[in-house]
Amino acid sequence: MSGQLSRIQAAFQHRMLSGADGLEPYLAEGGHIGVYDHAYRARLQEILAGDFPALHSLMGDEAFGQVINGYLDAHPSRRRSVRWLGAALGDWLRETAPWSAHREAADMAAFEWALGLAFDAPDAPVVAQADLMATAAESWPGLRFGFHPALTVISLHHDVTGFQQAVTGEREPEAAPEPLDRPASWAIWRDHDSLIAMFRRLEPDEAAMLDNARAGADFSVLCDTLSFGADSDDAAMRAAGLVLGWVQSGWVSNLNGDAA
Amino acid sequence: MEPRRDSLSGFGLGLRTQHYPAILEEHDGRAEGVDWFEIISENYIDVGGAPRRNLMRIREHYPMVMHGVSLSIGGTDPLDMDYLAGLKRLIDMVEPALVSDHLCWTGVHGINLHDLLPLPFTLETVRHVAERIARVQDYLGRHILIENASTYTAFAADEMSEWEFVTEIAERADCHILLDVNNIYVSAFNHGFQALDYLAGVPAGRIKQIHLAGHSHEGDYIIDTHDHPVPDPVWELYGRAIERLGPVPTMIERDDNIPPFEELVRELQQARALSEAALHKREAAQ
Repeated sequence: MSGQLSRIQAAFQHRMLSGADGLEPYLAEGGHIGVYDHAYRARLQEILAGDFPALHSLMGDEAFGQVINGYLDAHPSRRRSVRWLGAALGDWLRETAPWSAHREAADMAAFEWALGLAFDAPDAPVVAQADLMATAAESWPGLRFGFHPALTVISLHHDVTGFQQAVTGEREPEAAPEPLDRPASWAIWRDHDSLIAMFRRLEPDEAAMLDNARAGADFSVLCDTLSFGADSDDAAMRAAGLVLGWVQSGWVSNLNGDAA
Repeated sequence: MEPRRDSLSGFGLGLRTQHYPAILEEHDGRAEGVDWFEIISENYIDVGGAPRRNLMRIREHYPMVMHGVSLSIGGTDPLDMDYLAGLKRLIDMVEPALVSDHLCWTGVHGINLHDLLPLPFTLETVRHVAERIARVQDYLGRHILIENASTYTAFAADEMSEWEFVTEIAERADCHILLDVNNIYVSAFNHGFQALDYLAGVPAGRIKQIHLAGHSHEGDYIIDTHDHPVPDPVWELYGRAIERLGPVPTMIERDDNIPPFEELVRELQQARALSEAALHKREAAQ
């Protein structure tokens, strides 16, 4: 739409995002436009501090404020719910200097974001252990797995979980997050009954197998993922055990590979 | 479930997560003194887990109304049909008595500023907003309520008063009004008009819900912060509103410095008492 209304809104938004003064000619005298200027960053800053309390604690007020200002410049919100404002913060921290040199910040943001998703991701069915056990042996090689929307898998360079748990448990963290010898994967999900967010570190072979399963591979391919040399029976046993664990944890929504 | 469409009455509170334990555990979902709850729609669209479970447990015992903050009915971007589809899914789940959003815009060019931004009171805006409300109501298959927002600036292009603007839009769109009495007070102070002129100027028959809240006085202007109890001048204006309008479902919004649940319930009793007194006065005057 063209016209005065759209010109005013473009100028108003430009002012709020960049401080540009093109709005002035449109304003009546005597208003308090500064209320809007101040409110925009203050509100979003507060929301992100609420979504990333351990990142805030890890970085301190000043650096966290700089991070959020830079992030908001790069990623103004494009979603209706402010719930999604921080969706790209982990990636942005990993890719943007000087924060990219502090990988623990990106790791913490990724972990806290995944916990948030586990908390309120849409509901979906979970496969019961009995249903998996009732699957005929000859059907197992062709099984594919559809995963629950609350399950996220992230790869971290630091074990940030202890620090995060201390901050949200209102305890003083004992130490800064320790770098890992090599990146490791964590699964974060929601317990089906208590609805509490859970997490655990994955062994490398389980992480690789889960990646493939989430990409749509069937059980026979998943068995090949596991490196047991020539002994395919061992691989199948290990793979079946891992799948059983996924089902028991409520990660699996169906046994046909459909998106949940 | 409890009553649904267009059957709301009495006094409600904005549902806030801080009060879940009080409502669900101490009162087993049936807290006395609250007739209904209002939810912020965006907090529950397409979410699962504990937020959804708690919402539906409370919904089992209470009527609810849905209040949105990002419809951007005055925005010049096209209507966001994905958002409206999500809103409709939530309406189907919650079966609210009323669905409302604000008479404002929240961003353009695909960006959301997450603020309730002011509109110029012009005929161009009236036409634009009324046409969009009508489309939203067609899509949702029900009336919506639009709420007057607090504002801190006016525009050189303004052609009418805010109450004329609200009235013209509501009449053209055939929508209902959520009258925020605190916002009238705040905007009257900020822009130097008479709050009673506003009350006298809005179409009584279209007002289906009232909001009450507190604010922050900054000396030469007031900010609508929802972080204090409802102050005396807003209570007084509320009494005058009920004298004019008759009984209207009324609720208190509190978004910051959130006190214990029981304290808000007590504040709601004040609204009940004031409304009752105002209705007596109204009766006596008729």
